[in-house]
Formats: sequence, C-alpha cells, structure tokens
Amino acid sequence: MEKTLAVINELEKAGLLSRYAIGGAMGATFYVEPLVTFDLDVFVVLPTGPGGLLTLTPIYETLRARGYHEEGECVLVEGIPVQFLPAYNPLLEEALAEARETMYADVPTRVLRVEHLLAIALQTGRLKDHERIQLFLKEAELDHTYLAGVIKRHGLEGRWKKVRK
Amino acid sequence: MTPELERIIAAKEKRRRDLATLSFPEKVAIVVQLQKMVAPILLGRGRKVYVWQMPASNDQPVLANFPR
Repeated sequence: MEKTLAVINELEKAGLLSRYAIGGAMGATFYVEPLVTFDLDVFVVLPTGPGGLLTLTPIYETLRARGYHEEGECVLVEGIPVQFLPAYNPLLEEALAEARETMYADVPTRVLRVEHLLAIALQTGRLKDHERIQLFLKEAELDHTYLAGVIKRHGLEGRWKKVRK
Repeated sequence: MTPELERIIAAKEKRRRDLATLSFPEKVAIVVQLQKMVAPILLGRGRKVYVWQMPASNDQPVLANFPR
C-alpha cells in the first residue's frame, strides 16, 4: 500500500489532482475494526480544466502511461485497485478540505475524518452505510460537537434523528 | 440471556474494540487476509474481485492474485 499511496502523492504533486483523501471502507477501517473491501476509494478534488471542465481523464492517462491498467471502475496501482471519486457535493468538498493528515508506514497520506465518513454514510443511505454508522458509533472516537456541525451544515438532521431512534 | 452467552458477546465486543485500536498498516494486513478468505466465495458467485498484492515486511509477496 505504501507504493500505491506514493503514486497518488505524485499525482497530487504533479497537479493532476488538487487534493485527495482515503474514504470508503478503507477510510472507515482507519477508525474501526478492519472491514472487507476490495477497492481503495480515493476522493479527489480535481483542478479545473479548460472551460471549467472537471475530469478524471488526465489522472487515468498518466497512470496508463506509467503502465497501470484499468480494472472496471478502478485503476490497478501497485497491486491495489484504486477508485478515484471526484468530490461531487459540498459535504465531500468539506470532507476533503478537513481530511486528517497521517502516515502509512513512512508515506504521508490523508484519511477523511470519521465524522465526515459518518455523514457521507448518512447521506448515501444504503443498507451497508447504516451498518457502518452503527460501527462508527460503537467503535470510533467521535467528536460529537464537530459531528453535529457537519450534520447541520449539510441538512442531515432528519436522517440522523432516524438513525439515533 | 444466559450468563455464558453474555460473556461470549462481551468477549466478541472486546475483540472488535481491540481490533479498532490496531495501527492502520496492521488493519490493512488483516483486510488483505479477509480478502483471501472471501474472494473464493465471491469468485464462485461470478463476481470479479482482486486480492491486493501486499509485500510482507521482508518485501516478499505474500499474496497472489486470484484468477480472474
């Protein structure tokens, strides 16, 4: 995973993405017990291209040129299928801006804050998201004041009330 | 609930909490082990999955890809 993260760091350094952070099940695993997943979900802020176009194409082209190939929705980077997900709404934009800086072995990386992972799960609302929310509540150290702010800012109070019932 | 069942459930919850406190690389290593366990079942159901290739601490590959 170090090599994979190093490649993603290089993409950021080269300006192909403005900022990234690990999310999804691997992001959740940072805070709770290990969860089975086969993809590394990487949320990205993309630089604005000509005509204001936001596209993953430059990332895919660069990785392809380096010999990495696509596997379905993912790109296989150093043995790990990486799914690049552009920040497509204000919650994800905020989550990326406030992602936690950390180290994976000796490689710097970022992971979305657990409060944002919980809010994203609330917003997405699939069955597995509800299960994940329960795990966060049981196992993760949540900053409840911060979480309340995220939930309020992104209009998730109704969903949160239902979950807490 | 019987006392024995309560003890078992408490032990399971403790184990989960303990797992949650492991370092990120330790957790990733466990995820890869879980992938190895789950992949044959998913492949048997026709789902394409890819077990992560992670070097061990001595830089030897410990996992092979499942046939796709």
